[in-house]
Amino acid sequence: MEVPVQLPVDRPVSGAAPAPPGTSASSWYWRLPVPWLLALRYFRSTRKDASIRFLSSMTRGGVALGVAALVLAVAALSGFQARLLGEVLGHTPQLQIDVTPDSEGEARRALALLGVAVDVQVVLVGRGWIADNGRLQPVEIVGYEKTVPAWFPGVEASGEGILLALGVARRWGVVDGQRIELISPRSQLSPIGPIPRNRFLPVAGTFVSGRSQEFEGRVAIPLDVADQLLWPSDRRLDVELDGSDPEAAAKRLRADLPDSVRVQTARDLNRSLFFALRLEKTLMFFAVFLIVVVASQTLISSLALVIANKTSEIGMLSAMGMTPRQLGRTFVALGALLGTTGILAGATIGSLLAWILDRYRLLPLPDRVYIVDYVPFLLRFDTDLPVILLSSLVLTLLAALSAGKKAGAMRATSASFQ
Amino acid sequence: MSLALSATGLRKTFREGTRTVEVLKGVDLEVETGEILGIVGPSGSGKSTLLHLLGGLDHADSGSVDIGSVRLTDLDGAKLAEFRNRNLGFVFQFHQLLPDFTALENVVLPARIAERPLGESRDRARALLEEVGLADRLDHFPNELSGGERQRVAICRALSLEPPLLLADEPTGNLDPDTGERVLELLMKLQEHHRMASVVVTHNPAVARRCGRILRLEDGVLRA
Repeated sequence: MEVPVQLPVDRPVSGAAPAPPGTSASSWYWRLPVPWLLALRYFRSTRKDASIRFLSSMTRGGVALGVAALVLAVAALSGFQARLLGEVLGHTPQLQIDVTPDSEGEARRALALLGVAVDVQVVLVGRGWIADNGRLQPVEIVGYEKTVPAWFPGVEASGEGILLALGVARRWGVVDGQRIELISPRSQLSPIGPIPRNRFLPVAGTFVSGRSQEFEGRVAIPLDVADQLLWPSDRRLDVELDGSDPEAAAKRLRADLPDSVRVQTARDLNRSLFFALRLEKTLMFFAVFLIVVVASQTLISSLALVIANKTSEIGMLSAMGMTPRQLGRTFVALGALLGTTGILAGATIGSLLAWILDRYRLLPLPDRVYIVDYVPFLLRFDTDLPVILLSSLVLTLLAALSAGKKAGAMRATSASFQ
Repeated sequence: MSLALSATGLRKTFREGTRTVEVLKGVDLEVETGEILGIVGPSGSGKSTLLHLLGGLDHADSGSVDIGSVRLTDLDGAKLAEFRNRNLGFVFQFHQLLPDFTALENVVLPARIAERPLGESRDRARALLEEVGLADRLDHFPNELSGGERQRVAICRALSLEPPLLLADEPTGNLDPDTGERVLELLMKLQEHHRMASVVVTHNPAVARRCGRILRLEDGVLRA
């Protein structure tokens, strides 16, 4: 090329140390689009200026704190929900078909055709009371046909009679073989007029009711006794499946049976509970997500400070030919880098904490009050975590976009070069 | 000789509170290829404003700027930015180097914006920096360079895409007289070497005397 223009070199300001690795236009990121190239270099330089370093640390810390809190809150709720659902589903038949004496045969034929039921039995369910020694408790009476349904867990029976929840048996101090009174609201005629039907039945055993009050209010009796106490219209078929999907089985049965026959899964039977759990989780998510929202506002402040600090650089970049869109993208990319590092740090911290708290059961609960004696954490990596990461990322990107827009709107006027 | 730059009837008004200041009142000028035009005038006369209008960094209230066959005042946004990138080199009073980038990186940056191949851009930048005597300063950040070195890097950056027009705003205004003289000498030699048109805005008569032609900006108009 041209003959070098030889000039005396004036002295540098400071001892000129060689540039660190990654500079000199040879690093891999010099092949990136210019906005990302600038954003990466600015990201690195946020550590140099004290005020920018403070604000960007606050931003990353705030986002990390918000995401960690979100991970912990969602994991705790998922943990509780998993335990509660396990408890509830353990006490509910997988499929329940409400039948009348006329439609029972049809339902049994449809089930046989489906070929996924391992146990089908008639169950008669109604309300009533148990009474003993002047004490009275409302109960759900379950009359079973052959064996005690699988959703009565931990049955210990020694004969025919009434099965009580273990908690009730202990509180009342009743033992196997002792007779207690079972009263039904179904009336029968007597010389003094209609009176409720009742039977004195021996206690045949107990079942584990867990810590749920709902299951403590159940009793199980043989079907022939239940037939005498309850209405025939309260008959239903309880179905246990061979591991097939209950929802799919219910769908096929509904298609095969007339509309008058109601087929419900465990999920249908606990629809309100499932809805409440989902609602609780959603509300908790948004409540804790507010921390990330506040942190993303700090991101805007942080980027605004960087932009204010780099007014002359933005002016020069504009003079060199960067388009407003490219300038805007530079600061969106910088915001994304700041936000993403905060999000990843928060997700890592939150996940680790959730694992440690669950593994070592570090948050105890009074076991007489709750269904578990510690706060369980369950982080769902396939659903919960991606939702947390994605929503936080979208929010920080929106914050970065608003700041980037400001940078893109700047003009390389004389004010830029002061 | 062909015209490198032509401006006609440039007007620019600024509002300062309730007051309106008309800085440029119809500026006409022409610069031929290879010519160095010096524009002098007292501080606040509107020299920098005129340079920004000529470089498409700001918009005139009225009038037009043509660079080569392109009417700059008709371009906007991305097209204007692209035109600046390919056709204009800027040197400002303060070097305006990006502090987070080394000397070599600062010079490479316009080529990266133009999406030129990296290897070729780096070689060109290195050759330019060697040409101005900064072969041993390639990997130094601006804060590790002296004022004169920084301004030489800024000149290399302005020339990195070999633009047909160089716009310099007080290129030696922030340097001591000796360094300023050396930088000016370099600028003139490079200008001659690369055969580009240049507009140099200055209030320094010594700088103006080095230009091929001088115009004075007074009361918002250019006079010979």
